[in-house]
Amino acid sequence: MSRLRRREALWFYLFASPWIIGFVVFLLGPMIASIYISLTDWDSFTPPKFVGLENYTRLLTEDPVFWKALWNTFFYAAISVPLGLGIGLWLANLLNKQVRLRKVFRTLIYLPTLVPLVATAMIFKMVLAPSGPLNDVLGVFSIPGPSWLLESIWVKPALILLSVWGAGGATVLLLAAMKGIPRELYEAAEVDGAGAFRQFWSITFPQLTPIIFFNLIMGLIGAFQVFSQVYILTKGGPDNASQMMVPLLFNEAFSFYHMGYASALSWLLFAVILVFTLLAFRTARRWVFYETEVK
Amino acid sequence: MATVISAAAPPQQEPQPGPERTPSRDRVMGVFRATPFTYATLIIVSAVLCVPLVFVVSIALSSDQTVNANTFTILPREFHWDNFTRVFSTDLPMQRFLLNSVIISTGAVIGQMLSSGLVGYAFARLRAPGKNALFIVVLATMMIPAQITMIPQFILFKELGWVNTFLPLIVPNFFSNAFNVFLVRQFVSRLPSEIDEAAMVDGLGFFGIYRRIMLPMLAPVLIAIGIFTLTATWGDFMGPLIYLNDETKMPLALGVQYITSTSQALQAPPWNLVMVGSILLTLPMILVYYLGQRYLYEMDISGGSAGVK
Repeated sequence: MSRLRRREALWFYLFASPWIIGFVVFLLGPMIASIYISLTDWDSFTPPKFVGLENYTRLLTEDPVFWKALWNTFFYAAISVPLGLGIGLWLANLLNKQVRLRKVFRTLIYLPTLVPLVATAMIFKMVLAPSGPLNDVLGVFSIPGPSWLLESIWVKPALILLSVWGAGGATVLLLAAMKGIPRELYEAAEVDGAGAFRQFWSITFPQLTPIIFFNLIMGLIGAFQVFSQVYILTKGGPDNASQMMVPLLFNEAFSFYHMGYASALSWLLFAVILVFTLLAFRTARRWVFYETEVK
Repeated sequence: MATVISAAAPPQQEPQPGPERTPSRDRVMGVFRATPFTYATLIIVSAVLCVPLVFVVSIALSSDQTVNANTFTILPREFHWDNFTRVFSTDLPMQRFLLNSVIISTGAVIGQMLSSGLVGYAFARLRAPGKNALFIVVLATMMIPAQITMIPQFILFKELGWVNTFLPLIVPNFFSNAFNVFLVRQFVSRLPSEIDEAAMVDGLGFFGIYRRIMLPMLAPVLIAIGIFTLTATWGDFMGPLIYLNDETKMPLALGVQYITSTSQALQAPPWNLVMVGSILLTLPMILVYYLGQRYLYEMDISGGSAGVK
């Protein structure tokens, strides 16, 4: 290697050192520590006691709350993410027409996503109160509204409702992508006599699949890690009906100081996220359309 | 109502160049024609999405009696603007919360902007053995959920005596993160490399090139990173919840929740003040989004599609 090349390499490592140091200190080190902690019984005050895989077997075979939290998290992710994306896509398609005041509509639809999660939770605490605005509206149609956050069948739909309120985030992204679809495709389809629905299904949707796919993955990963709204609104209740993976983990770690048990839980969460991400990538080939594959 | 609308309206006044404004063709094609049904749907959906925000403003302007009796209405009938000043003078340390939020967010933003530019530039331009392998590690770390490192990091910061200080929420930002490194790298890759080659011929060192040539050009991506970091830190709930247990150390996001959780047992939380807090939490985000819109657009789209392809 020439002197110049060596100097360049030196500068590379110097410039990259913040990330490298951060990676070792805040990620790699803690990950290795986490593996070890997950194999111990540890309250973070007294010395840890090595217990092997006991935390994992206890979680998977003896802890009914874990399975309930896992199921709840699946349920929440499987409905809220596709629903939010679907509504986002539907609204984007409407805004992609020659609409007057498009920017006003777009801003209004996007506005809820700018509200920080804590404020969103406060808002929904008020909206979903037993005698709150939502039930007032239902009352107008003489539908007796449930006590959303206090009833075990309604608490998950309530949390899904909260997440769908932010569907405007997807709308703005998808709308921007729709603008990039060549007009010629629609002109050709129109000449061929394709209707609006057919044009959406055969042109718009396939052209958007890469972005939809990206948002689906990121959305699922995010949904599996849902925390703040559960912690603030329900604390996992009633009767663990809204208990999810991360709030459970948080409780185990910082309320009960079961550091080993909570660490094992975090690795199971990672496994679940990994499986779903890989699954999504495996099925992606069947429905995600990349322009480059055609050319 | 007025507050929400006026915050939302300005983008409309600014005619934006580019794809936003479709050139008027001879005639609008069938799929792109907006029918009354289109407008009806858009109006209803926008209204439904904004109703909760209107309620927030209405409650924030209500008197204590109205809130306690649960008789507030969607459009405010009373205008207790003093709620916005009262919130700073009750025994709730709201101004402290606000100040803490500002300190933590500023620290985090400075940290990410300083470190991400440097690291991203290195990955885009400098040649070194092991660089590509290292970049794969960068990408791989994006997949690891924060919960894995949460507990060991807590132990680490506890050992350092940093619990109940802002340091655990600020310091890690000075070490950049994978997503931001990726954004800067993609951005720099699109800049013509003749620029830094010319600078090198002129005798500038690598740091000189970064400092004098690259940094000014990186402004858009660094601003976008600043906005992402600000939004994430300002609204972060879990981090402060883990590390800060002293009331005077809490940022606004935690403080607002703290108000509702402490008063729960004794009486109903002062909803009007909670909503004032929520507005204080939200307004800066709207402002930042409005000011930074064009940078975010650029980054979202390039980052969004580059991530999968």
